[in-house]
Amino acid sequence: MPAPSHAEPVPLRPLLWTTAAFAAGALLNVDRIPFWATAVLIACAAWQLSVAAHKLPALPKIAQLILTFLLVTCVVATFHTLNGLPAGTVLLVVMGSIKLLETRNRRDRYIVIGAAFFLLFAACLDRQALARLPLYLGAACLCCTALIVSAYGGAGLNFRTAGKLAARSLLLALPLALVFFLFFPRLPGGFWALPASDDAVTGLGESMSPGSISELIASYDPAFRVRFAGAIPPPQERYWRGPVLHDFDGYTWRRGAGQAYRQAPLRYLGEPFRYSVTLATGANRWWFTLDTVVGSPDKHAFFSYDYDLVTREPVAQPTTYNALSYTHTESSERLSDSARRLESALPPNRNPRTRQLAVRLRAQAPADPDFVRAAVEFLRTGGFQYSLTPPKLDFDSVDDFLFRTREGFCGHYASAFVALMRAGGIPARVVTGYQGGEWNPIGGYFLIRQSDAHAWAEVWIDGRGWRRIDPTAIVAPERLRRGILDILPDAVSGEARLFYSTPFLARLMQEWDALSTAWNERVVKFDINTQLGILERLGVRSADWTALATALGSGLIGWLAWIAWHIGRSAGPRPADRLARAYARLCRKLAHAGIARDVAEGPLAYAARIGRSRPDLMSRAQPLLARYAQLRYGPVSGQVAAAATAAFERMVRRWHVARRPPRVQPQNSKSA
Amino acid sequence: MHYRRIYILPTRAGWGFAFLLFCMFVAALNYGNSTALFLTFWLAGFALVGLHRCHRNLLGIALEGATALPAFAGDAGRLELTLENPAPLMRLRIEADLPGVAPSVTDIAARGAARLSLAVPTKVRGRLLIDGLRLTTALPFGLFRAWTWVYLPVELIVYPRARGLLPLPTVAGVTPGAKMRGGLGGDEWLGLRAFRDGDSPHQVAWKAYARGAPLLVKEYCAAASPERYFDFERMPNLDSERRLEQLAAWIVDAENRGERYALTLPGSKVALDRGAEHRHRCLRALALHGLAPARHASTVTR
Repeated sequence: MPAPSHAEPVPLRPLLWTTAAFAAGALLNVDRIPFWATAVLIACAAWQLSVAAHKLPALPKIAQLILTFLLVTCVVATFHTLNGLPAGTVLLVVMGSIKLLETRNRRDRYIVIGAAFFLLFAACLDRQALARLPLYLGAACLCCTALIVSAYGGAGLNFRTAGKLAARSLLLALPLALVFFLFFPRLPGGFWALPASDDAVTGLGESMSPGSISELIASYDPAFRVRFAGAIPPPQERYWRGPVLHDFDGYTWRRGAGQAYRQAPLRYLGEPFRYSVTLATGANRWWFTLDTVVGSPDKHAFFSYDYDLVTREPVAQPTTYNALSYTHTESSERLSDSARRLESALPPNRNPRTRQLAVRLRAQAPADPDFVRAAVEFLRTGGFQYSLTPPKLDFDSVDDFLFRTREGFCGHYASAFVALMRAGGIPARVVTGYQGGEWNPIGGYFLIRQSDAHAWAEVWIDGRGWRRIDPTAIVAPERLRRGILDILPDAVSGEARLFYSTPFLARLMQEWDALSTAWNERVVKFDINTQLGILERLGVRSADWTALATALGSGLIGWLAWIAWHIGRSAGPRPADRLARAYARLCRKLAHAGIARDVAEGPLAYAARIGRSRPDLMSRAQPLLARYAQLRYGPVSGQVAAAATAAFERMVRRWHVARRPPRVQPQNSKSA
Repeated sequence: MHYRRIYILPTRAGWGFAFLLFCMFVAALNYGNSTALFLTFWLAGFALVGLHRCHRNLLGIALEGATALPAFAGDAGRLELTLENPAPLMRLRIEADLPGVAPSVTDIAARGAARLSLAVPTKVRGRLLIDGLRLTTALPFGLFRAWTWVYLPVELIVYPRARGLLPLPTVAGVTPGAKMRGGLGGDEWLGLRAFRDGDSPHQVAWKAYARGAPLLVKEYCAAASPERYFDFERMPNLDSERRLEQLAAWIVDAENRGERYALTLPGSKVALDRGAEHRHRCLRALALHGLAPARHASTVTR
C-alpha cells in the first residue's frame, strides 16, 4: 500500500461517515464533555471535511502535535487526572478529534471508528436509562455502517448498501448477544473498586433550613419505588422515614453526629407491611422505609437509634431492599436523661416569643398530651397558610414564622412545631422523608417522587413513646390527600404540570415509568442470581456455573450453526425470478419421487415422460407443467402474470408428491 | 473454479477490534453493567457475522475464463480473468493476485460477471506457467480476510525481446506493380472476403453487415507491398538468442510497415502472410524455439 502522500485527495464519503459515527459517540456523552472539547470536535470535523471536499492541503504535522499537547493539557487542567470515566471520555473525544484531522486512509478511519465505539460503550457504562436505549441503538448502527463504508475503501460503499448490511448483521448478531447476556456468568463483585459517581442529584440532606425542601418539591424526579407484598398501608400512614434531625441552632436543623443515645425498644401493633424499595441513584445515604421499620434488611445499611437506615456510601447504583414495617408502635420505656436533654435542647437567646408562647400554653395544659393538643390547636386556628413560596424568614426563624409571616410548607411547620414542643419541655425531633406516593397500576408499585418530600415532627410522650405529629396535615389537610399539583399548581415546572394534569399524558407517563422500572429491575440489575433463577425456571435443578456454561456453549454452537447456514445459503446459485424458483421446486419434488427432469428437457416433454412412467402423478403434474410453460413462454403480462405466478407457487407448494405409486388393491379395482 | 478451501484470518483491524471488545468486556463485567455488557456481546456477534459474510463474499464465485495475453520478454504480460457470481448477492471488492504481482480489484454484481486484468511481469522468452491464482476479500467489514487459491494452469507465451540492430533483410521477390491482397495502405479496391480473426474493425464492411450480410472485410490492394523472408539459418554470426531477438524485431517492424513476411526456423516454418494472427504465430514460434513442449515451462516467480 502506498504511503499516504499529502497530494493524495481524501475520499469524502468514508470520512463523512467516520465523522458522523464519532460525533454520534461524542453526542451520547455530551453532558460529560466540557464545552471546549465539543468545540474542538466540531472544528476538527469541519476542517477535515472541508479538506476532503475542496481538496485542500491538510494541517501540517507540527500543528497537530502542538494541538495534541495543548488539548491534553486542557483535559488535565479540567479534571486533574486522565483516569476515570469522565476524564477518559473527554480525552477520547479530544484525541479522536485530532485523529480526525489526519484521517486520510482506511487505517486512520478505523481508529476513529474504534474511538466512536468506545464512546458509545462509555455512555452505556454511565447511563442505562431505558429512554437512552434508542440513542445507543442508533449510534451502534451508525458506527457499524461507518465501518462498512470505510472498509470498502476508495470512494466508499454507498449508504443504502452499507446501512442495510450493518442493520442486517446487527439483527443476525442479536440472538448471540441475548444468549451471552443471559448466560455469561456475572461476577458477584468487580475486579477492582468502582469509582463513585459524582452526579449531583437532589435528595434529602442532613440538614433543613427554612426553604430547603421547596427545591425538592418542585422536582418531579423519582426518589424511589415501593412494591408491597400483600397489604398496602392506607394513605394517611404512608410516611417514608428518612434522616431524623435533632440539633437546632435557631435557624437550621441538623442531624448531629454519632449514636446519641440508645434506641428505645418498640412494641409493634397491628399487622406488618412487607415491601421492597428500589432507590433511584442519589447523593444521599438513606434507605427510606415505611415508618417504622423493624430492622436493617442488609448489612450495608445501619439501623440507627432514631429508626432510620443509613449507609456509609451514597447510593451510586439503583438499590433494592426488602423491608418489614409496622405503622403503629409503642414504647413503655422511660427516655434516658441524656436523650431527654438532647431532644429538648434549644439554642439560648433565640426565638424568645416562641418560648413565651410555650410557657403560656404550658400554664394552661400541664399534662404533656394536653400541651401537644394545645399546640396543635394553636397551629390550626392561627391563620396559617400553606405556600411553597413563603416570604423569607428572619434570623429567629421560628418566631418570624409563627408570629409574622404565618406562611410556609412542611419544613416550616415541622421546624416551628418541634421548637415549640422543646420550648415547652417535651422531647421532640424533626423527621424528614417522603409522604404519599403515586400508585402505578401498570407496574403495581408506588412511585415516590422528590416532590413528595416532607418533614414532620415526633414528640415523646411518656408511656407511649415517640408519636408522629404532622403539623402540615393540621394546617393543610388537603396537601396530604391530594398531590402538590392540586394544591399549588405553580410550584412545579410547566412540563410536569402539563404531563400530570392531562389524564392521557399522565397515564402515558405511568406506563413509561412502569416500563423503565421493569427495565431497571429486569435488565439493569441483571446479576448472577437472576441468571441462576432463569436456569431454574428453564427446568435446571440446582443451577450453578456448569449449567450456565452448558447453556452458553450450546447457545453459541447453535447460533454459529444457524448463522453459517443462513449466510452460506445465499451464496449459492438461486433462480432469478419467482416463477423459476417455483418451477425448480416443482422439479425437485418430482425428482424426489424418482423422475428427475433432464437438463435439456422442456416442461411439456417432461410432462409427457411423467405420463409414461408415473401415470398416477399425471393429473397434477400435467396441468402444473403446462401452466408453467404458459406462464414462461405464453403471452401473459403485468399484474395478471404476478397473480398467476403466485397461484402457481401456491399450487406447487401444496402438492405433496407421493414417492411411490399407490398400490392398487385387487378387490377395489373394479374397473381394471 | 477449482478451489478446495477458503482460508480466513482476522486482519489487523480485526485484531484491533478484538482488543477493543476485550477491553469493553472486562470493564463491563467489572462494573456489572448490563447495557455495556450487552453492547459488547452484540458487537462480538456483529464481528462473527462479519466473519461469515466475508467467507460468503468469496464463496461460490466461479472463474469462467482465464486468458493469458502474450508479451515480449521484459514487458508485462496480461492475465485476463472472468469471474462469475451466480448468487443473488453482490460481491464486494474481490481481489485477484498472483505472487509478486499487484492485485486487481473488482465488485461483481448479483448474478453478474466481472473481468479482471493482471499485469504479469516477464523475464525470459518461453512459456510462463501461471498455475495458482489467489482470490482475496476483506469485505464487508474489513475485520477478516478470506482467501482461496485457484488452480488455473494457464500458459503465457513470452516472445523474445524485440531488439536488434540489423536492417530488415532485402526484399525478395517483389514484382513491381503486382497486385497483392490485404493492407489498408493500398487504395485500389479488390473486393470483399470473409472476416478472419485479426482483421481490423476498420476494414469490416459494416454497411453490408447491417443489411444482414455476414461479416465481410473490404480488401484493397497495396500498390507495391514487399515480401520478406526471415530465416534463422541465414543470419549473420550471432548466438541463437540474439538471432531470435533480431527476428522478433524484424517481425514487429515488417508488420508495422504492413509488409508480408515469412519465417523459417530450424524445424519449423511459417508461410508468407501478414496480420495480427500471423505475427503471433511467428513470434510464438520464436518464443518456443528450442524449448521442450510444456513440461519445462517456468512458473511465475514466487
